[in-house]
Amino acid sequence: MSTKKQKVIQKKLPREVYSALKNVAGEQWIYEQRSVVETYSKLSIEGGSFVKKHEKDPHVLPACVVLPASTNEVQAIVKICNRYHVPFVPFTNGQVFCNPTTQDPTLIIHFSRMNKIIRIDTQNMCATLEPYVDYGMLQAEAMKRGLWNGGTPLATTLCKLASQFAFAGLWQTDLKYGLFSRNIVSVKMVLPDGEILTTGSRCIPKAGDFFEYGPGPDLMGLQRAGVGTNGIVTEITVKLHSWVGDESIPDISAGRPSLVDVHDPKYDNPDKPLKNHKLFWCEFDDFETQIKAMREIAHSGIAIGLNATGVYSAFYCSQTQAMTIKRCEEKFFPEWNCYVILANVTSDKQIEYEEGVLRQIIDEVGGRFLSESYKPEVLEALKPWNYDCIRHSTGYRMNRKFYANAWLPVGPIDSAVTTQREWKKALDTFGELDITDRGGAEDTPFIYALQRGHFCLFETDNYPDPTLPDEIKKAQGFGIYGAAAVVKNSLGPMLMAFLNVEPFTTMFPEAGPDSHLFMRKIRKVFDPNSVAAPGRQVFTEQEWQQFPEAVKNIVNKMREMNDMPAVE
Amino acid sequence: MTYYEKKPEKKFFEKELEDYRDSIWGCARCNWCQNHWGWNVKSAEYSEVCPAFHEYRIFPYSGMGKMHMARALLEGDFDYEDAPEMVKFLYTCTTCGACEMNCQRLQDKEPLQVNETLRAKMVADGVGPMPEHKGLIKSVKNYDNPWMQPRTQRDRWARKIPVKDANREKVETLFFVGCTSAFDNTQWHVTQNTARILLHAEVDLGMLGKSEICCGSPVARIGDRETFISLATRNIELLNNTGVKEIVTFCPGCYRSLKFDYREVPGVPELKPRVYHTAEYIHRLISEGKLKMPGKMKLKVTWHDPCHLGRHCGIYEEPREIIRAIPGVELVEMERIKDQSWCCGGGGGVRTAFIDFAQKTATKRIEEAKKTGAQAIVTACPFCEQNIGDALSKMDEDIDMYDLTDLLIKALETEA
Repeated sequence: MSTKKQKVIQKKLPREVYSALKNVAGEQWIYEQRSVVETYSKLSIEGGSFVKKHEKDPHVLPACVVLPASTNEVQAIVKICNRYHVPFVPFTNGQVFCNPTTQDPTLIIHFSRMNKIIRIDTQNMCATLEPYVDYGMLQAEAMKRGLWNGGTPLATTLCKLASQFAFAGLWQTDLKYGLFSRNIVSVKMVLPDGEILTTGSRCIPKAGDFFEYGPGPDLMGLQRAGVGTNGIVTEITVKLHSWVGDESIPDISAGRPSLVDVHDPKYDNPDKPLKNHKLFWCEFDDFETQIKAMREIAHSGIAIGLNATGVYSAFYCSQTQAMTIKRCEEKFFPEWNCYVILANVTSDKQIEYEEGVLRQIIDEVGGRFLSESYKPEVLEALKPWNYDCIRHSTGYRMNRKFYANAWLPVGPIDSAVTTQREWKKALDTFGELDITDRGGAEDTPFIYALQRGHFCLFETDNYPDPTLPDEIKKAQGFGIYGAAAVVKNSLGPMLMAFLNVEPFTTMFPEAGPDSHLFMRKIRKVFDPNSVAAPGRQVFTEQEWQQFPEAVKNIVNKMREMNDMPAVE
Repeated sequence: MTYYEKKPEKKFFEKELEDYRDSIWGCARCNWCQNHWGWNVKSAEYSEVCPAFHEYRIFPYSGMGKMHMARALLEGDFDYEDAPEMVKFLYTCTTCGACEMNCQRLQDKEPLQVNETLRAKMVADGVGPMPEHKGLIKSVKNYDNPWMQPRTQRDRWARKIPVKDANREKVETLFFVGCTSAFDNTQWHVTQNTARILLHAEVDLGMLGKSEICCGSPVARIGDRETFISLATRNIELLNNTGVKEIVTFCPGCYRSLKFDYREVPGVPELKPRVYHTAEYIHRLISEGKLKMPGKMKLKVTWHDPCHLGRHCGIYEEPREIIRAIPGVELVEMERIKDQSWCCGGGGGVRTAFIDFAQKTATKRIEEAKKTGAQAIVTACPFCEQNIGDALSKMDEDIDMYDLTDLLIKALETEA
């Protein structure tokens, strides 16, 4: 006997809205078909949309997808949304931490047609980009001109720079160049009411792009972490830096795979990093020594990149899921380690000098270098990093289950110990979803040393089976618990997630302090009709009242577990 | 079924959507199914690899979109009546495999296999393929070729070439000609070149002539599994019965079918002869000193990797080494090559159903080739040659199109 499965029916936009949108973008760039909106509904990293898919909740389906081609078209679309009170959500890849849709028919504004590098200014070392330009595109074009943007995040051609304007943009080379948010010169935004805002020196006629803060108040700072709530970035100007590698990217020495042998590790083993770069792997006996070494290296002023990775090496350097799991079980990679990226930025002798400093630090602290004579098989397996330390390609080779939750607090380097302790506690409390969840508890969390080690970012993650909703909910529990633990321990804001989005913004007022109340006021001014990515960064009073009590109760339970009073 | 539990050992042509359930739920939206592998990106212009997403810009055309549509269909969130447009999205895919390459490499998932399984489901359910494909399937069923040509015409190309009849006499090497180059007289130069080159190297060469039948690749790619399995079964029996040791074919579709796809058909015997693509075979002949090319020409060329030869089957270096072995020929590379090669646009039934899109995709490849400064694009696939050749004929570009064997014959004839 066959059981008829329940369909999920999308809502439709009112016809007058559709007609108005058609007049702006042209009929061929507006889609309402059921299968199209489906592909804009189940997101990555966001457990909520997975659970809702399992529960057949129609509210995850947008009503319509529109593809504008210019800032003017985006502006016109946003004005239509205001006129008809249609909520809209800006969209590039769909890798977000919050659900894109609302109870009302929602419009997705997809930027895939806005994918041009508008200009590269070699004199002022900056590039202006449309929102669908990714790191791979920018780097290739900048490198040809002797420049680069200073780093890549998790995945070169995955990440669109404009999408990272809000709160992502973590690079391998943050030690020298800082986070992406420190590398933005200006943005052009379409505000939620359809007005256009240009920030920085660019808004002074003929002044050009060189100064991000004024004139007047730092509007870009206000807009950062907006998660799409405060406007849509339609142009972004980013800093470029001197590039010391080849002006055209050489082919990979490891060769090219085919579908016949795609999982052969030999294709992921570039012999060495790009020209004028060198990568060192250091191993330590315990976490304390690792942290001490990282602090010393960061403060010494050497290197363009300093990071540590435990379980991530098992992901990035393993070509199959089975291989990842095996390496985790065997603890194949050093549990306590760091890797250091050196570059000849100022002189051909720079690497030589900095290597001497590095070796002295590691010797004094009591660490060891992986080398051809010490754990050569491990060093061989780590070779994907030779390219990934600059052009982060295998960076999305994570656990092939579902990257459903991440703890991403920032703090001084010593607070890595706090992150590790709290993650262990969470694992003891909830139980692991996968062996890889132990990463960051039994080995080092992922640590990025930022801006010469003034602070670091730590990462630990959960990977539930995406076909099992209970596992996903458990991962969400980890996330909420993590938010509470971070606030309780006075760690810095969760850089990339959670504490910047609802319901955390409202339910953890201590993280602000009370920044959600300020942002609520800002939202009233910028978005009088509450149409811009509603409820993402901050709830209106009305949205807060409508938010499910069950979720509020779960968050309060996690607060209680961390000795924090309930939020009313 | 979880990731930890071992999947049942099913062959591809018996797999159903349910067999990919964990994979399609787990799509990470990393978008690498659309993009050039990050280590190899050399320009913004050529940073994408999926022709369909590149053209239409919405996710249903990408590998990721296929995974999401498959999930919804599998879980009953919608059905064909709710989403009749899905057929077009699935068939506007050249099956070039760029999505599969990058997704397998990063996420261990299979967007192209999912797409082909979706196509098979649609055909089985009576909603696929595209109306334009129906004639092709009918032709394969009625005439054993997709070109609606009578069987008697299959060996016309070989009238003046002394290839042995493998039906009647014992030969060591069988030339599996394939339908396109057997019936399309604009492609006979390739067929004839191949036979002449192999005979020049004194290969004991035979062919099946009128009794050769379609390898099944066109119907496999558009999802008619029943017809494909029937052809595979017949071909395996036919080819095994010839007693040949090896089979040479220059059609990448035939090559993939014979070498890899037949293994994925449940319940059929193994194909005994070893299967070679012409590029592999000629490369071997040159390496063994059986084919010498003293003839000199002055030509700068670029190699277009046919998707089903390169990305699908791993033949990247042999054709390049053959080109380099021809005196006076200089090989220059395009940006998107080998595993990240840009498709010609003609595969997967796209040329049959969406000729404009196929030609646009080929035009982009020609423009990419022009930027190398090459005087000619060289390839080794009848479909690439057809599609790129057609696009080229409509463009005012000073660049030629050659089959790999055209260059070899020129070099050999210069010697004569």
